[in-house]
Amino acid sequence: MNKVDSPQVTKRKTRLSSSCTPNAIESATTTINLPPLTLRDLVFGEEEPLTYDDLISSLPGRRNQIFELVRLLGPVDSPVSPIFVYGGASNGKTSTILQVFRHLNRPFVYSSCRTCYNARQLFENILNQLLLHRKSEINGYSSAKKCEKQADFVNLLKEALVGVVDSLKVNLGKSSGGSVNGSMVYLIFDSLELVRDWDKSSTILPFLFKLHDILKVPDVGLIFVSSSSLDTFYSDTGFVDPIPVYFPDYTEDALRQILMRNQPNPKLYSAFLDLVLKPFCRVTRKLDELSAGLSPLFKKFCEPLDDLEVNPVGENKRKLLNCLQPHIAPAINEILRVTTMSSQVNMKKKKSGASDSIDEIEFHMSTSAKYLVISAFLASRNPATLDASFFDSTGGPANQKKKRKSSEKSKELKEALEEEQFMKGPGTFPLERLLAIFQCITSGSEYPLEEEEEEEEEEDKSLMSDILLQVSSLCSANFISKGGSCPLEGSTRYRSTISEDLALKVAKSLKFPLTKYLYRK
Amino acid sequence: MSPMGRGTAEEALVLLRRRLCDPNFIFSLFSDSPDSNYSKLKFIVSSSITEACNNSILLLGPRGCGKIAVLDLVLEDLLKEYPEMISVIKLNGLLHCDDNCALKEIARQLCIEHELMFSKMASFDDNSQFMIAMLRECGLAHKTVIFILDEFDLFAQGKQRLLYSLLDAMQSVTSQAVVIGVSCRLDADQLLEKRVRSRFSHRKLLFHPPPKDDLQRLLKHILLLPTDSSLSHDYITEFNLKISNILADKRFMEVIDKLSDSDSTFSNFIRFLFSAVSLMDLKSGLMTLDNFKSALSSIQRQPKLDCLKDCSVLEFYLMVCMRRLETKGQELYNFNSVMNEYKSVHDSYQLQTHDYHSRSVCLRGFEHLVDRQLIEFADRGHNQSMEFRAVKLLISSFELHQGLKSNRLLPVILEKLMESKN
Repeated sequence: MNKVDSPQVTKRKTRLSSSCTPNAIESATTTINLPPLTLRDLVFGEEEPLTYDDLISSLPGRRNQIFELVRLLGPVDSPVSPIFVYGGASNGKTSTILQVFRHLNRPFVYSSCRTCYNARQLFENILNQLLLHRKSEINGYSSAKKCEKQADFVNLLKEALVGVVDSLKVNLGKSSGGSVNGSMVYLIFDSLELVRDWDKSSTILPFLFKLHDILKVPDVGLIFVSSSSLDTFYSDTGFVDPIPVYFPDYTEDALRQILMRNQPNPKLYSAFLDLVLKPFCRVTRKLDELSAGLSPLFKKFCEPLDDLEVNPVGENKRKLLNCLQPHIAPAINEILRVTTMSSQVNMKKKKSGASDSIDEIEFHMSTSAKYLVISAFLASRNPATLDASFFDSTGGPANQKKKRKSSEKSKELKEALEEEQFMKGPGTFPLERLLAIFQCITSGSEYPLEEEEEEEEEEDKSLMSDILLQVSSLCSANFISKGGSCPLEGSTRYRSTISEDLALKVAKSLKFPLTKYLYRK
Repeated sequence: MSPMGRGTAEEALVLLRRRLCDPNFIFSLFSDSPDSNYSKLKFIVSSSITEACNNSILLLGPRGCGKIAVLDLVLEDLLKEYPEMISVIKLNGLLHCDDNCALKEIARQLCIEHELMFSKMASFDDNSQFMIAMLRECGLAHKTVIFILDEFDLFAQGKQRLLYSLLDAMQSVTSQAVVIGVSCRLDADQLLEKRVRSRFSHRKLLFHPPPKDDLQRLLKHILLLPTDSSLSHDYITEFNLKISNILADKRFMEVIDKLSDSDSTFSNFIRFLFSAVSLMDLKSGLMTLDNFKSALSSIQRQPKLDCLKDCSVLEFYLMVCMRRLETKGQELYNFNSVMNEYKSVHDSYQLQTHDYHSRSVCLRGFEHLVDRQLIEFADRGHNQSMEFRAVKLLISSFELHQGLKSNRLLPVILEKLMESKN
């Protein structure tokens, strides 16, 4: 089913490993002597080139885009303007282009700006492929050419391109070189949108877009692949736009065709999709999210079945569908949730069951760490000025005072404050405040804390160093985020990232009356 | 229409594509007229060659108006006219905006030109002395060095050491050099420092997008097949007849008008022709009006509207909620406030339950919107988690309306929500 990934996987296999025999793989621990790369390695894999019909049927829903691309690339050895392929994530841009090249059987150089994470990696990767250089133990996994600056890259690239094109032309003349079509080389830059986040992106992007004009080599074609449109690539003085090719998201029909591929029991799966695909598509039409989300649901769907080969018809089908119906809505909520900092932990907890009365948390955390989490939560939510009234030694929060305050405020002001809280999110606090609150809530005699009492007996200093260690480990586990330093005080400020639900649950597990200490506007 | 052999049509297609990818071919059309930029530039450069003097010119104009192409044509002709008297050094601001790197590149190209050994290890001072010495030598040999500085505005960043040392070297009587700056910034000469500006002669050539009658000439120049090519005579006459018919067609003129309304530069025009030509039907081997029409629609895309077409129902709900917040006068909002609005909308309008999703699912929809660049974070708070960061819509309410209309699968309630205030 992993249609999106498969071409890349095969490509990598064909480029790197499939050229060595199975025997060689067995002795992988010793040095492998890969045969030197040839021009043949610049085309897609060793499989037979696809016919146009196979190409269309292998990529459902991409007929128009394939047509457009093949037409723009044109007949063998015809020059091409730079092409800019864009469209949302996981809708088959990369695989379509690679398969189109497999169909055309023309030499190309593919490099993704995701794996080549900076300019130097990108440049060297392209040059390596063009110079048929393989990183190996013998050359100490070094690149063919050292190249960091754009100026050097242009010179080296021109040299390499001319070399490759010349040898391709010689090959064509020999007529034995029928394995490669044409003497043009295409450079494919995938995930171009990531370049925007590189340092010096303001010079690299216009440079890449202008590369075709700078090179002035007619035998090279440039193809950019990006998940965001051209108008998001700002630059000071702009650039001449390449020819755009837009990949719209898959339609529901296309998604169905893709999901149906490689299913052992197509009829059963199709019945399943009838029920499930629509509600899921209302939330997302991204293939990667859908395929990940649907597989556990399909397992649930199959649970009542003894025989997976069964063909659901009539009564049988209705029964199955009825079984699944109640699971869909929760499944959407469960599967398509985002793991952010605050929900990360919740997810772990939810596993234990659907019931809401979970008191215990499923992850292990020491008692003092739990208190720290609560202290951090309080420090983030409560205004610092009210700390004294909440935690002063005369005991307990000043309930009356709080009530009077809230009654004083008009309703509008309250709403405005609430809005502000929504906008600002949890506040920041210095370490000292966290430790002070921690001291207060652990030493509060009102609440007998059996576990803590043991710690209390220990020496104060050792406790403090231990606590500081715990703070830093909570930071690295993302319960507390460490922010920039305060411009006035100059000390590092922290911020609690957990949600209120989680804080309440942690408090519950400690039998700590959190709500009593929480400032409500 | 007689069915043509695939070979012939393909040959014609390759020929047309070659022409479109070759700026020299395209701009050679304008080289004969006396008041064209080509003639002016050629006059300036050739006079400084023959009179053995120093000169500097700026070629200014928007991107895609053929500054570099015209310059290349001029240089090509001059190299033919005055062989052995010119050496050309080409620099590009995108590649050599660093002074060190630029001087190294100058030294490298001078070395190649004069068959000298180039040392990579040479320092900035070495290279600069080498350049001055070479300029003197060339001046004594009555050889003009032409420096082309593409993306001239980028050389004007920083301390402008390169520009200064180049222009200062040209102050001496012995040297004989021309500096040609090419830039798309019309204020490029204002970027220069005083010491550089005073050494720069303020000759400027402005490049404009082509006027309409030039476009007509250009179309014929590019699209009509040459009668002296290897293609069969019958095919050429048929092809050219068809093209002339299309060019005379009123509907074709509408297409061209639409194209030049948004962007009338040469490059846009050539992009358009390129995609039209690549759509040519290889069976008949002839171009049709439809080719041009569909090329126009594929060139003139509206990325935000395309993006909106792809959005799911949930994503539309979120955007409509943001829009509602904006009309309520709330300038800043984040995921939490959007969720509040979403909830209140759900409560007051009794939305179908299957469109009311939990908070975390909505957060995913929210993430998708950020990915699609339909919304953007308004602050730089990397420290804060996503729910609290302020966002803003990057589309207008008009675009959102268009998006709602173009998507047939959306519930009708969304449009109502857009219009109603509470």
